[in-house]
Amino acid sequence: MKRLSIPFILLLIYGCREKLPVVDDFKNSNYKLINPNNQEVIFPDFVKGKLVVMNYIFTNCPDICPLSTNNMRLIQEQLKKEKIDNVQFVSLSFDPEFDSPEVLRKFAGIRNLDLSNWTFLTGDKSTTDSVIKKVGVLAVPNDSTIFKNGRKIYYYIHTDRIQLIDPEGRIRKNYKGSTINVNEIIADIKSLQ
Amino acid sequence: MKRRLLIMVALIFMLNTIIFAQQPKTQNSKLKIQNAWVRPAAKGANSALYFVIENNSIKTDTLIGAESKIAEEVEVHESFKKDNDRMGMRPAGKLAINPKSEFEFKPGGFHIMLLGVTKDLKIGDKIEVVLLFKNKGKIKIKAEVSDMPITKKMKQ
Ligand SMILES: [Cu+2]
Repeated sequence: MKRLSIPFILLLIYGCREKLPVVDDFKNSNYKLINPNNQEVIFPDFVKGKLVVMNYIFTNCPDICPLSTNNMRLIQEQLKKEKIDNVQFVSLSFDPEFDSPEVLRKFAGIRNLDLSNWTFLTGDKSTTDSVIKKVGVLAVPNDSTIFKNGRKIYYYIHTDRIQLIDPEGRIRKNYKGSTINVNEIIADIKSLQ
Repeated sequence: MKRRLLIMVALIFMLNTIIFAQQPKTQNSKLKIQNAWVRPAAKGANSALYFVIENNSIKTDTLIGAESKIAEEVEVHESFKKDNDRMGMRPAGKLAINPKSEFEFKPGGFHIMLLGVTKDLKIGDKIEVVLLFKNKGKIKIKAEVSDMPITKKMKQ
């Protein structure tokens, strides 16, 4: 009786204070991605059990993506200040053909980001495409610049997103990455703790 | 008599016009660039430069481009919104800076795009960029590398 009722009560409490509906669920889908140290990681498996704050970027983007990334940093700093741990930050590139592990390493390094609980990810284009499709992020090449030496880079029109994923791998809320209200996501993180 | 007066008045008008027509040189020095900052970028990556153009003159000027040794290519860009939550970026073309007004280059909007920076831009570093205006010509500006807007401007 006791064994049954405790989970039931927990479920009730959880249900009552649940402000954030489940947007989508990774369920058993896992994706083989690569971190900046060239190591394979299985996403979202490697962050299971942690709350995840995730954004979607390409490093050739000089304006919106650094804005979003800087907002991730501000969230991370605020969490540190409030001594909230067990939150993992993830930045996934949807332009993996350009964003090699080395490019991502430099992107994080030049910004002095605290990578103790922040992972940048890249991978096969087909895999990153599957992830963004799953989470509802669109990224389509649009304008481009051709350098004098012939090098060509593309600018994507892309969903500007920071996403909150719960420890069970369920997407709980989407925010606009470049204009997110840090206090809002901090409150949401607390509500899922 | 009346006719003489009329000619006098006309002459004064003409003189005025000539004086005003020559004024742009000094008026244009009232084109100021404030609060310039630039995002960090590793060598070879892209960065964006932001600032406020203050046109205190009575004439419109036009930003026609920018150049710098700090990057392989320098373009005037604009971030734009598409649908509800998508963002893109495109070349912005020439930008008219209206008289007695401010024009802000800021995150999520207009920026000078620095493509393929020629060295690491670390937080605290300073870079030089030249802005090209139709009337004023070249204005050299210094920008500090930062991951947040720098506001040192004192309103006069
Ligand atoms: Cu740009």
